[in-house]
Amino acid sequence: MRLSARRATGGAIGGRGPIRAGLAIVQTVQGVLIVAISAGLLWLVWIYGNGLRDPRYFDGWVLAGGMSLQLGFHIAIKTASLSPKSARRWKAVHIFLGYVLIAAFISHSDFTLPDTAFEWALWGAFVLVTVSGIFGTYLAWALKAKRGVDDGISYEGIPARRAQLAQEVYAAVTSTDATTAALALPAQPHDAWITDLYTTHLRDFFQGPRNTAAHLIGSQHPLSRLTGEIDNLSRYVGLPSQQKLSVIKDLVVEKDRLDFARVYLGLSKGWLYVHVPVTYALIVLTVLHVLVVYAFSSGDW
Amino acid sequence: MRAPASWRDRFAALLALATVAALGLAFMGATGTQFLMPGPLTSAHGSIEKCSACHTKSGEGKMSWAHGLVAGDPRADSKACLTCHKMPDTAFNAHGASAEVLEKSTKRLAKAAAQTPVPQSARAQNVAFPTHNLVAGGLTCATCHQEHQGANFKLNKISNEQCRSCHAVKFDSFDGNHPEFENYPFKTRTPIIFDHAGHFGKHYPEVAKKEPGKRIPETCSSCHNSQDDRRVMAVAPFEKTCSGCHLNQITGKERATGPKGIAFLALPGLDLTTLKAKNAVVGEWPEESDAALTPFMKVMISRDEPGRALIKTIDGVNLQDLSKANDAQIKAVTKLAWEIKKLFHALIAGKASEVLGDLNLGGGAQLSPALVADLTASIPRDVVLGAQQEWLPNLGAEIASRPSANAETQGNAVDAKPKRPGETEQAPAAASRQVDPASAAPAAGNEDRAADKAGTAGAKPSSGQAGRSATELPPPMRAGVGDPEKTGGAASDDPAAEAKSVGNDDAQADHPGEAVPEGRTPLPTGTPRSIKARGKTSSEPGDKSGGVNDAGDGKAAPSASEPASKSAGDTKDADKAAEPAAAGGDKTGSAADAEKSAPAAKSGPGKATEQTDDLLFPTEDELRELKTGVPAVAGKGGPPPADPTKKGAPSGTTADGAEPAKPDVAASSAPKPPVSAAPVVSIGSDVDPESWAEYGGWYRQDFAIFYRPTGHKDKFLYAWLYLAGPQAAKGDKSAAGAVFTSLTHKDAQGSCTKCHSVDDIAGKGQLVNFSPPGVKSKQGRFTSFIHEPHFGIMENRGCLTCHKLEKDRPYLKSYEQGNASAASSNFGAVKKELCQTCHTSGMARQDCLLCHDYHVNGAATPIMSTKLPIQ
Repeated sequence: MRLSARRATGGAIGGRGPIRAGLAIVQTVQGVLIVAISAGLLWLVWIYGNGLRDPRYFDGWVLAGGMSLQLGFHIAIKTASLSPKSARRWKAVHIFLGYVLIAAFISHSDFTLPDTAFEWALWGAFVLVTVSGIFGTYLAWALKAKRGVDDGISYEGIPARRAQLAQEVYAAVTSTDATTAALALPAQPHDAWITDLYTTHLRDFFQGPRNTAAHLIGSQHPLSRLTGEIDNLSRYVGLPSQQKLSVIKDLVVEKDRLDFARVYLGLSKGWLYVHVPVTYALIVLTVLHVLVVYAFSSGDW
Repeated sequence: MRAPASWRDRFAALLALATVAALGLAFMGATGTQFLMPGPLTSAHGSIEKCSACHTKSGEGKMSWAHGLVAGDPRADSKACLTCHKMPDTAFNAHGASAEVLEKSTKRLAKAAAQTPVPQSARAQNVAFPTHNLVAGGLTCATCHQEHQGANFKLNKISNEQCRSCHAVKFDSFDGNHPEFENYPFKTRTPIIFDHAGHFGKHYPEVAKKEPGKRIPETCSSCHNSQDDRRVMAVAPFEKTCSGCHLNQITGKERATGPKGIAFLALPGLDLTTLKAKNAVVGEWPEESDAALTPFMKVMISRDEPGRALIKTIDGVNLQDLSKANDAQIKAVTKLAWEIKKLFHALIAGKASEVLGDLNLGGGAQLSPALVADLTASIPRDVVLGAQQEWLPNLGAEIASRPSANAETQGNAVDAKPKRPGETEQAPAAASRQVDPASAAPAAGNEDRAADKAGTAGAKPSSGQAGRSATELPPPMRAGVGDPEKTGGAASDDPAAEAKSVGNDDAQADHPGEAVPEGRTPLPTGTPRSIKARGKTSSEPGDKSGGVNDAGDGKAAPSASEPASKSAGDTKDADKAAEPAAAGGDKTGSAADAEKSAPAAKSGPGKATEQTDDLLFPTEDELRELKTGVPAVAGKGGPPPADPTKKGAPSGTTADGAEPAKPDVAASSAPKPPVSAAPVVSIGSDVDPESWAEYGGWYRQDFAIFYRPTGHKDKFLYAWLYLAGPQAAKGDKSAAGAVFTSLTHKDAQGSCTKCHSVDDIAGKGQLVNFSPPGVKSKQGRFTSFIHEPHFGIMENRGCLTCHKLEKDRPYLKSYEQGNASAASSNFGAVKKELCQTCHTSGMARQDCLLCHDYHVNGAATPIMSTKLPIQ
């Protein structure tokens, strides 16, 4: 059952199969880089402070610079001034920089919680933007890593694909074996059993998005139940029917991935309703923060 | 229908606007600009409510903080800190130290830097974020003291790395490559000179041997403790430590040679013969004086520019041998003589505080009453007065009629005949007492001399009071002095009764004329007659007419137990003189004299230089003689008149030390109470003045008034050293320099500088270090050490664990020069390795601030000005 399910992931929703080992390497390298750069940033802040300057100005400007870059990416996306390929690269940079800026933010807040309302507002906005960003990257990672859904699929294309899968499974269920038909012997009721399976379990499954809750919590139990039924039936049918059930099973897995993609892509869409507006608020607060800081500055920067 | 992205953008824009609105509302609703505050202040600053108290560009209004965005003085906020935290002008320099100190320190450390490996982080910091320009431009307070970090935040927190970023020597840690100590802690010598090696090795054992009962310090803590200030091993006070052996050195008890007191005022010996030969008019001046001009008098005379020029001119001139002096020097000496007379006169006629209050000391500032009191050691007027009456009995008259500058310098006679009474219109009362030298002469007699007149003591004026100014007298006396008619009447009615009614010696002393019957009227010094009389007196050794004590040494006159025969002449003369005075009817006494002298003053020459012929202008005595028919004493068979130029030559005595009249004889031969007499001291004493002032104070000896130190912390010595030092650079020949030298040389009385070191201060003279090491002495030092926490870890050797006594070091020699930095302690330097035994990783702290101070000159927080709650 596991094997068949794993095999089923070979079907590419976005036209590309998951390269889990490569992804892990890339992600590991990125993680190491983020940690290294963050540590380097903290060290620079430390020696800046040792140089009798207020380190809050240093990490503050690093933070402000990074935020400006992120904002620039957002503006570029909004103005569609980037090619899809560039957009993909910039998105990767966006995520990478976002993680680096976490270190800058922690340094800027001096590893302490805010004391005043204004600082809390600023701190809360940044944290919200950051957390939403991290959640966004989790969603992107989960699509790829968990079910091999790549950037080729869009939320809007899922219904069409689902309909296509429904037609494919119906065709598979209703197809007859030519060799079986040529024999004079009475026919085994294998097709009837498969049709019964379709009627009982598969038809409804393919008719629309299913198991949303299970996908949200990362459960594959519904898929396992369906593939279990198919596997059980497969033991009592002949080879041709087994092959038919195998195709049906692949289609079930594919449909489940599509449901998964629909859930996560949907979350991604909703997530942007947090990430982007809070970023706007953060920008307002940041500008005010910079003005206040320089209005009251006393020491050496 | 809009696309989701469009909805999202609209929502984002709305949220941004809502944020602005919410901030605006919160800001407007908050108190002042507190909403913008990044965090609570430290508890020390917690009471500050207005942002503008520290953020100077921020005003009071809600939006006034925006002013801070405009460029302004980058140090403005730091200057606001200094309104409460008082710091020197160098506050914004590194360590608050002066540029010179920093430069010197950097140069010194640069040598160590070359041998110290620099840690990588320090190197990186120096390359990425160098601090040179930052420090060169001056550091602000907020560079190190970051506020708004919470109530419990330590504002003075600073890391080792921060310290290192500026320093030339960049090392890793104390137990790592911290440079070795350089002569720590003895970089400057101690203010108090105490030779530990000498005391431990020589003095204490000697004292223990000589005087076993004497308390000798047993441990270091006998003299040192750290209880008062944990940084300083304080020295116990003098009274508890050094006085046992050294007090007598201060008071002079142990002095074998020289005077035990300090000559403050003196009548310097002058070469009168040469002066006379050069026609210089100095007036009355004792020939016997061999005293020197005291440095204090130099200061007093140098209070103005002419005075300074005068002192400069006579500098190097031997006043007692002017044979080689040129005209200018003779002129200066003449002027000096008159200046000295004026000084004495001023000290008697005026207040000592006024004479000494405007000395050219203390940078020209008016001296405070307390300081003037210390400078004079509250010298009693009678001390000066007594001296004047003995040395310059006719001073009042001389000053009143002193020759003009022309006469002083070009006088054609040595004689400077003083004006007669009544000639001084400005001060008739004062002058009336010195109308006649005879009237002053008896008063000038010292106590010993007066003692010889014990028989008449009850009626005769005492020396100390005879010269009191008329204004000091009780009204009746003052009236008598000031109004010749009245006085004359009173005197002629019953002088004896008058004397009786007054009931003390003062009364008669205030009647100068009453001295006349004694017949000891000295002639004004230098007049032909006085010279003649002096010649006569000197040619008659053993003449009993004087009755004065030994003029040469000023010592006490013979006691009243001297044979009566010796003083018979005196007594007889006195009796003779007293008779007419007591007869009544005739005008006698000062009132009569004054009355008579008044017309003379009007008709006679006004200037001493014009009074060349005494015969034409008889003295008051002579006039009195003419009037009363009583022959004058001098040259009329009686004893020759005392020469006022002779030391201690009052009436009734001779300068050659002739015996005074015996009291009993005088008493028996005086049928009536004398109306005037020489000063009398009824109690004789064998104690010389110097010994009399054994415990300090003023005394008079020879031709000088001495001050004997009273003990440790003598205010007189302190005040003069304190004021003269800054004006007395080493080798300085000014008057202040002379005072300073006289009080600080090896054999100086008081021996202040035996223990108190003298530092040269560049361009500011010298300073005697009176204060023992205290917290103030730690100012400006970069390193601090607290003894107390280390006491518990010392080995059996105690203080010697760290401070090793090195006997061969030239400790005392280092005090022979004025550079405090050129020190050589009795103790060896403390080594870094010794500290490192504990102060190392994992044991005791070793951060920079443990031993080093940043604000080396301190940062005091004074009490803020509080207005008194007066309605």
